[in-house]
Amino acid sequence: MDKTIKLIGNAHLDPIWLWRWQEGCGEVLQTFRSALDRLKEYNDFVFTCSSAAYYEWVEKIDPQMFEEIKTMVRRGRWVPINGWWVQPDCNMPSGESFARQALYSQLYYYEKFGKICSTGYNVDSFGHAASLPQLLKKGGMNSYVFQRPGMHENDEIPENLFWWDSADGTRVLTYRLPDSYAGNGKEALDRKIEDANERAEQTGHGMMLFYGVGNHGGGPTKGDIEYLETMLEREGYNELEFSSPDDYFEDMLNQFIELPSWNDELQHHASGCYSATSLVKELNRKAENVLAAAEKWDTISSVVTDCAPQTKEFEAAWKKVCFNQFHDILCGCSIREAYDDFVESQGYATTIAGESYNNAVLRIARRIDTWVEGVSDAVLHTRHYTGADNGFPRPVVVFNPHSYKIKMPVRTYHPSKAVTDSEGNEVLFQNVRSSRSNDEHLDTLFMAEVEPFGYATYWLECDNVQAEKELSGEENFLMENEFVCVEIDNQTGFIKKLVNKETGDDLAGENFLAIPTVINDDKTDTWAHNVFKFHEIKGLMELQSIERVENGALRSVIRTKHKFGESYLTQDFILAKGQKTVRVDCKALWQEKFSLLKFAFPVGGNEEISTYEIPCGFIKRPCDGDEEPALNWADLTVTKDGKRMGVAVMSDSKYSYDCPGAELRLTALRNVIFADHYSYRPAADFDFTDEGLNRFSYGIYVHSGEAEKSDVVKEAHLFNNNVVAVPESYHKGELPEKDCFMYTNADNVVITALKRCEDGSGDLIIRLYETKGEDNTRCYLMSKLFDNGFWFDIGKHEIKTFRVDRDTNVKEVNFLEGIVG
Amino acid sequence: MAQPIKLFPQLTRVVSHFKKFDIEVPKALLEAKAKKPDLTDFPYPLPQKKKDYTCFCEGANGVMWYGSNGGVTRYDPNAKSIYDIVMYFGASRDLLDNNVQALFADGDGVWVLTANGVTHIEMVKMSMEEKAYRLLDETLTYVQRHGMVSQKRLAEAGNLKSALPYGHSDNDGSFSSAYAMGEIFHYATLKKEKGAYDEETLRAREVAMRASEANLLLMYIAGRGNGFVARTYLTKDEPVPDDGLFYKKNGATASCLNTTDARHKKVVGLEVKADAPIPERLRKMYTEEGYEDTDITYKGDTSSDEITHHYMHLLVAHEFLGCEDPEYDELLKTAARNTMNHIIDNGFQLREADGNPTTWAKWNEDYFNSAMGWADACLNAAELLMFLRVTMHITGEAGKWQETYDMLCERGYDKLTMGHFDRFHKVCLQGGIDDREDIMYGDHNLAVLSLWGLVTLEPDEERREMFIKAFRSWRYSLAPEYTPAYDFPYFLSDPEAQPDEERVKTWFYRFNVSRLASAVSLTSRRDYPVKLFMGDYREVSALPPNDERFIAKLDRDPLEYKNEDSGGVFCVESCYVYTFSYWLGRYFGFIEEGEE
Repeated sequence: MDKTIKLIGNAHLDPIWLWRWQEGCGEVLQTFRSALDRLKEYNDFVFTCSSAAYYEWVEKIDPQMFEEIKTMVRRGRWVPINGWWVQPDCNMPSGESFARQALYSQLYYYEKFGKICSTGYNVDSFGHAASLPQLLKKGGMNSYVFQRPGMHENDEIPENLFWWDSADGTRVLTYRLPDSYAGNGKEALDRKIEDANERAEQTGHGMMLFYGVGNHGGGPTKGDIEYLETMLEREGYNELEFSSPDDYFEDMLNQFIELPSWNDELQHHASGCYSATSLVKELNRKAENVLAAAEKWDTISSVVTDCAPQTKEFEAAWKKVCFNQFHDILCGCSIREAYDDFVESQGYATTIAGESYNNAVLRIARRIDTWVEGVSDAVLHTRHYTGADNGFPRPVVVFNPHSYKIKMPVRTYHPSKAVTDSEGNEVLFQNVRSSRSNDEHLDTLFMAEVEPFGYATYWLECDNVQAEKELSGEENFLMENEFVCVEIDNQTGFIKKLVNKETGDDLAGENFLAIPTVINDDKTDTWAHNVFKFHEIKGLMELQSIERVENGALRSVIRTKHKFGESYLTQDFILAKGQKTVRVDCKALWQEKFSLLKFAFPVGGNEEISTYEIPCGFIKRPCDGDEEPALNWADLTVTKDGKRMGVAVMSDSKYSYDCPGAELRLTALRNVIFADHYSYRPAADFDFTDEGLNRFSYGIYVHSGEAEKSDVVKEAHLFNNNVVAVPESYHKGELPEKDCFMYTNADNVVITALKRCEDGSGDLIIRLYETKGEDNTRCYLMSKLFDNGFWFDIGKHEIKTFRVDRDTNVKEVNFLEGIVG
Repeated sequence: MAQPIKLFPQLTRVVSHFKKFDIEVPKALLEAKAKKPDLTDFPYPLPQKKKDYTCFCEGANGVMWYGSNGGVTRYDPNAKSIYDIVMYFGASRDLLDNNVQALFADGDGVWVLTANGVTHIEMVKMSMEEKAYRLLDETLTYVQRHGMVSQKRLAEAGNLKSALPYGHSDNDGSFSSAYAMGEIFHYATLKKEKGAYDEETLRAREVAMRASEANLLLMYIAGRGNGFVARTYLTKDEPVPDDGLFYKKNGATASCLNTTDARHKKVVGLEVKADAPIPERLRKMYTEEGYEDTDITYKGDTSSDEITHHYMHLLVAHEFLGCEDPEYDELLKTAARNTMNHIIDNGFQLREADGNPTTWAKWNEDYFNSAMGWADACLNAAELLMFLRVTMHITGEAGKWQETYDMLCERGYDKLTMGHFDRFHKVCLQGGIDDREDIMYGDHNLAVLSLWGLVTLEPDEERREMFIKAFRSWRYSLAPEYTPAYDFPYFLSDPEAQPDEERVKTWFYRFNVSRLASAVSLTSRRDYPVKLFMGDYREVSALPPNDERFIAKLDRDPLEYKNEDSGGVFCVESCYVYTFSYWLGRYFGFIEEGEE
């Protein structure tokens, strides 16, 4: 058996961490120059480096050097690795983000170097979601290299080389670095050689040895290369060879070796990273959602109105988002100043999204026939709605970017006397307090029903509006609709009753829920190195006031105000008709240093199972109190009174939960020092990650049975909605008052992307995935965009991407859209 | 086990073709004026572009028929199953050509005028049992050859009556075994339901016994006296094709004929013993047709496919035929012992006349450690263990069989059965292709038979769990096919697995009522995406019903994106794919006939 040890000369580059991106860019240029020089000096030396973003920097700033790199890539001496834009955090980006990481990077690599990367490489990322094998494979990669968690953090994950399987059945050949992606100097290299040799002997197959100066770049030094050259033929050791991970994996595939397999996630390393620096989490979620929504409507609009899609603009925007998912950025552990840059960069992306979205929906709205005979010209007024002053209702068009049909309240920023739909039916509405103090102080909330990827026109009568009646003082703080009943305790401000009205189950029972709990966090650093549980309770927030602020036809709102030390929390508990999720809008003025704010749901019961959303799927984890990453939602399902029931807690911007036993806790804030890395904390007036004003929302959804069989995915996606209500005017048009452009029949399938193909062909790209873990569902998708539909079978947790050409031929492709790979 | 899935009589497509002005063609069809249908809000995927539909008519019960330049679409808004809402009919399976010019509804069916003539699509209500009998009848009439079945060549595509009287398949032994097992389950089902002496039961027993005997004959016919199994045989009236190794029996010996393979292997003219006695009861398969031993030419270089099928056939025949016929049971036992001895004595391989192993029948570690055998090892290990278990079970003997079995398990054969997916996936990656591109679809049936046999017969609980786990490791490629022939044995083996009722029903309901091979227009359809793989292979993204893809066979990928099978349209296949599934399902209570 060949037990050669492959020497992987690499440079791990953090473009942002303890420095800002400008310095990171300079570090890339210096490192790449150095690597080229070393390649010229040492004929056997091979250099490996990841991250398409870095290559693009070099291409733009130093095209001559880029040409040198291309030459070295052609010769196989320089090996680009990891078909992603950066080494992102591998837990928090959405599945669609991972698709974009691959799409833009692999196409870039293909264009510049004539090939894509077959190996994934995230050696510094802090944990790896269980769905990554599929996300890698569909991005053109068959193998993977990672380092964290280390054996001291998780010794159950196989060492060295193993098969990593995701729940859909995809597997990638995976190499776990035994020590570090970096290493230089004789002593370190000797240690690495010794270790690799021992592992090769134990396993009977070859190993990789990573060396080079890392983090702030650098790469292999002359001294290291020369020293390794002297070691190549050392007796008593397995052969050493300058090589690349691609070569290593190819060699391993050619040998008859039996390897262990692992079908779980790769966790935990830095458990504090999923809650540190709320700003970056909030803007990541927002950008992902608004970009996806905008792109869908841009695509629809470009077909329906025959205009050019904004594909290039979206590419630029997604690249910013992908860059900002770099692990030290998204994990909130960079220096504070880096987040000023982040806000600007993310703003670039969301601005593109916002403008494209608005242009797209208005192009459609302007083509809807909203003409009303007899409507007058514009009248000057504070708000000069054409025709409104003459008693004509005002059209408002609601656009739904989801593949779910929606029925939810939407807001327009003026009050109404009545609301009707396009058939003239009265629509449930409520005038609610606006955020302004000017004019009527009221906005309209009305119940919009819109088909998937559709729009619907509503008519709002705006004149002679009466304010809602003042609320009289109330004794109870109970809200209910057809699905759920929730009551807030007037002594504590916590939920004391949470009833699933379909079953009658009270998830609270004898307990309080949604308890704002302050946790001490002064023993660790920004990453929370070596700390995996946050359980030291400093205290519960105390109720300052409780009042019902709305109780109308459409919704009720109860406001609580809590205090802890000098920190304050205002929560609006909102329950609207027809909604399965209780929404809680929060405003926290946070000053408590070294603390976490958690919302605790001690449901009680037994046979507890916690379930968390991960990219394009979900995972069940033990209820052992470890801090866990999640996307839009986490769920605790228990047995009470012999029945299975559960509560899911979702949010618009949070990524961290724990579940100590039959209790689920959302981590809303984590207020620690920026970039505090095992530091001794010298005396200084440090900035803290979450200090000041934080606005966020969380949602509470109850269900019977297991989480994955419920509507939790749908509810959480709608909670993060980007439904747009466009105030319109009166005009003729060729489009009807409502329409639907695409839908599927399957309630376990969600469409995450609708876009144009990157090759400029005009082909449509549709990406979707299975949400409930159900095997081989027969589905169909219909769309007016190509005036037909198609059948597909989808497996559990499977992601599928379809490409529809102008002649309505449909191909199933991967994230690279059938362009390469 | 859950309640049996009730299979109800279904409207089944039966087509007949006419010349345009044939007297049977309704005048109304020829006079019909084509009017484009309004498909603006059609709520399901359509096989053709909407603009390509040129005519339509309304049939019984609200069924709509739409004609296009790509075939006929049937829309039944009231269909009970999602699979039956939109049906597609295309050339040459259902139409003479795809250029539809007019439609005329006829009850549940429709008359179709196309460029090359007229087709009458009858939608005949038929139970699944009736379909089994119709298919069996077709096979017995047109496909059967000396009691064996595989496929028959046709002189004219689509014309059963043009079937040539001769013609063999390389895998006659495999297909005939599966056919025989299906008919034995048929007999066992009727015996259970109607009693042993019911007329229908007795008829079924006769068919089953003939199929079983014809199959068993292949384990004796070479006459080498060492348990060597022939792939198939021909009589003097059948031409010998240049396709493999053939031995002409001349009395005491047989000599290897001059074929490309024989020349390549340098065995032309090689003499081999041929006079070991053949039981008269089996020999009658050809003597009753008027042939002597010296009229027989048998085919060698037998593969593991045949041996695997033969051993499972021995098991099934022993359980249901041998138990009531000791003489026959003895023939089964002897065959099992002889071939088992051959395999063991030759180092776990089948040995040809020249002393070399046959191309594919190798179950030893040398093969497992070779570049070719490494990926096959997990399947082949299961096969060999199954042969031994079956031999032990039907002979009631332990001794040499048990010792060999224990020795193999000690050497890791039992554990090896679980590694299929690991090895297979690795080999695919090595070749730069996706899993589904590299599947040998013929292996599916071998894996199912071997592991089903092992799970059924293994007495050791821990080892049985291993075999269940091994079975599960095959499911990634078996499950998407929804083939009852694979799924029913799996459900019998893995107590955690349950059938998908709608998929099971669809498989039976939409199985063609004839085994005539014919092309279908899969590549021109707009409603089935084509999935691109790393290599050049293509599949569709949804499993098409049996009657909308090329002829259903167990050794083919049912998702393959093409218009016809590699065998072309000049043949008729045997019924076993359906009858094995149907009678196995009936016997074990997965399915039953329902009444409307």
